[in-house]
Amino acid sequence: MALRSVSRRIGSRILNHRSFVASLHSHATSFGFQEIKEEDKSKLVGNVFTNVASSYDIMNDVMSGGLHRLWKERLVGKLSPFPGMKHLDVAGGTGDVAFRIYDAIYSVKRRALQKVDEASLEETQIYVCDINSNMLNVGKQRAAERGLRDNKSLVWVEGDAEALSFDDNSMDGYTIAFGIRNVTHIEKALAEAYRVLKRGGRFLCLELSHVEIPVFKNLYDLYSFQVIPNLGELIAGDRESYQYLVESVRRFPPQERFAAMIADAGFEKVEYENLVGGVVAIHSAIKL
Amino acid sequence: INSSSVHLGKQSKRGRLRRRSSFHFSWQRSHLRVTKLKPLTLRRTMYRTAAKHLLGGGGAFTSTRLLRFPKLRSTIIPSSYTSGLCTSSMGGNTESPMGNQSVNPNQSDHTAASSSSSSTSTGEGPRRNESRKPRAEFQEEQARVLSASLRHVPRLGWTEEAMMAGSRDVGVSPSIVGSFSRKEAALVEFFMDESLQLLMDRIDSGLDLQNLIPSARIAKLIRIRLEMQIPYMSKWPQALSIQAHPLNVATSFKQRAMLVDEIWHAVGDGASDLDWYVKRTILGGVYSTTEIYMLTDDSLEHRDTWAFLDDRVKDAFDLKKSIQEAKYFAEDIGAGVGKSVQGLMNGVMQTMSRRSGGSAF
Repeated sequence: MALRSVSRRIGSRILNHRSFVASLHSHATSFGFQEIKEEDKSKLVGNVFTNVASSYDIMNDVMSGGLHRLWKERLVGKLSPFPGMKHLDVAGGTGDVAFRIYDAIYSVKRRALQKVDEASLEETQIYVCDINSNMLNVGKQRAAERGLRDNKSLVWVEGDAEALSFDDNSMDGYTIAFGIRNVTHIEKALAEAYRVLKRGGRFLCLELSHVEIPVFKNLYDLYSFQVIPNLGELIAGDRESYQYLVESVRRFPPQERFAAMIADAGFEKVEYENLVGGVVAIHSAIKL
Repeated sequence: INSSSVHLGKQSKRGRLRRRSSFHFSWQRSHLRVTKLKPLTLRRTMYRTAAKHLLGGGGAFTSTRLLRFPKLRSTIIPSSYTSGLCTSSMGGNTESPMGNQSVNPNQSDHTAASSSSSSTSTGEGPRRNESRKPRAEFQEEQARVLSASLRHVPRLGWTEEAMMAGSRDVGVSPSIVGSFSRKEAALVEFFMDESLQLLMDRIDSGLDLQNLIPSARIAKLIRIRLEMQIPYMSKWPQALSIQAHPLNVATSFKQRAMLVDEIWHAVGDGASDLDWYVKRTILGGVYSTTEIYMLTDDSLEHRDTWAFLDDRVKDAFDLKKSIQEAKYFAEDIGAGVGKSVQGLMNGVMQTMSRRSGGSAF
């Protein structure tokens, strides 16, 4: 029994080591299962999101059966936002996470239960950064629908996760939900995250990840490759984009590999939590 | 590696927590301790099984995997726990399992065996040679923030606000509070550990206990410990309710048990028979009732509390005598069955003369 687990560990370790270097480089040159040139990746991804922007939210609901809301709630719960915080949500174009953070901070219930300094409420800044202006526009529209169009706390910024325009040590929190697998160079994005965070600031990443549970894995693969592209065609009229999506999930490093990358960027206390058996994982870390 | 972050043997020599040059907080210690090869003492088994029973049940939908990153990247060793409880105890993980693993820097697989023990979850920055340093940093930061937060507790209570104020004092972003497991409980447990440490320091630095009878010694030690809570008395009920929360019961139970054990050891208790459990339980009861009495005591310098304490300690000692009486009497009864009534009466007379004076009847 012990021997089996030991040999499994050796086996996986060798396999991981060999494919580790390979897969890392290949993320930058892979577009789903296709091989592409590095320079082209961001353009191709940009095209995908320009195409899907308008139906992004509906498709999220359909593909995940509404579960993505719970996942984002969990993410924001883990973050524990507080009044006066400066938060950066990267690749958060349509504003899902940002709105939840805003609600968590400004909720009347919270204000009733805890002593909240009104002045610090004023200082709260939630920056939503996205490389794609179409996604940002959808987000601004949703903000207007909620009556937050002119709210000073929500700031919509167009920018690249690999080259953020924010100052060093300026953010209390950094979240990236379902965005990090779309960047060309993951390490650069992580390094930027490390740069902009203050000491004690938290990094949280919500991402589709790898499932290891035997039978469930097969079901999930079936669902991903058979059902989702068809849904994409049916609802959004765009099969290729959703094909890219499910392929990019498979190409993304698995949970532990990604956690190792986060640690390499300089973060402390790196942890991850699997939701739905690994379909989604929340990685968290602290800059010290 | 120090094989004893907590020596909890029944022998008197090992009956006390040995202090190391670096702090070991119980809130840092996971219930999953590294198994040592030497035989476990009864008490350690008791705590471990108690903790396991209390903590083992939380089968959850999500599972948290916690990683540690030793020198070589290829030896990432995951351990899976149930969520909630484990992220809770992960917040501070002891140095002992870490030390265990850093001893084996190569890809030796028996480190995998210790994956059944706890593993800490700090990332390592650019590859450093001392794998201890980055891990220790988070523990230290957490300790520093919690220590600074205690100043704000009388005003803000045992809450996240106090901890955020504390983090601002230290110069760290308040977000770090979001990463503490079981947030308010972390603060309370930190305080409990610190008070225990202070108590041990007071004992070590020459508290005069020799001239006192055991009951007076116990009263004095409990008094010293309870006086540490006086600054927080207005918010102590909140702390008690936090400790009573199901998620936190296991750790608070363990902390109180260590406290009681420490007090008995300082009093000079060398017993190793069944009495040991009874003694700890009774003292635990005395301590808790006094603590609760103190919550509503308005008298000058808590005089009423100390009087209450003395009474309870006296009761406890009387109780001890009564139990012993009952034991002897039962022996006699048992021995008397099969003997004549005369023989039985002789036995009883013997017992009564054995006791010199005091009677529980």
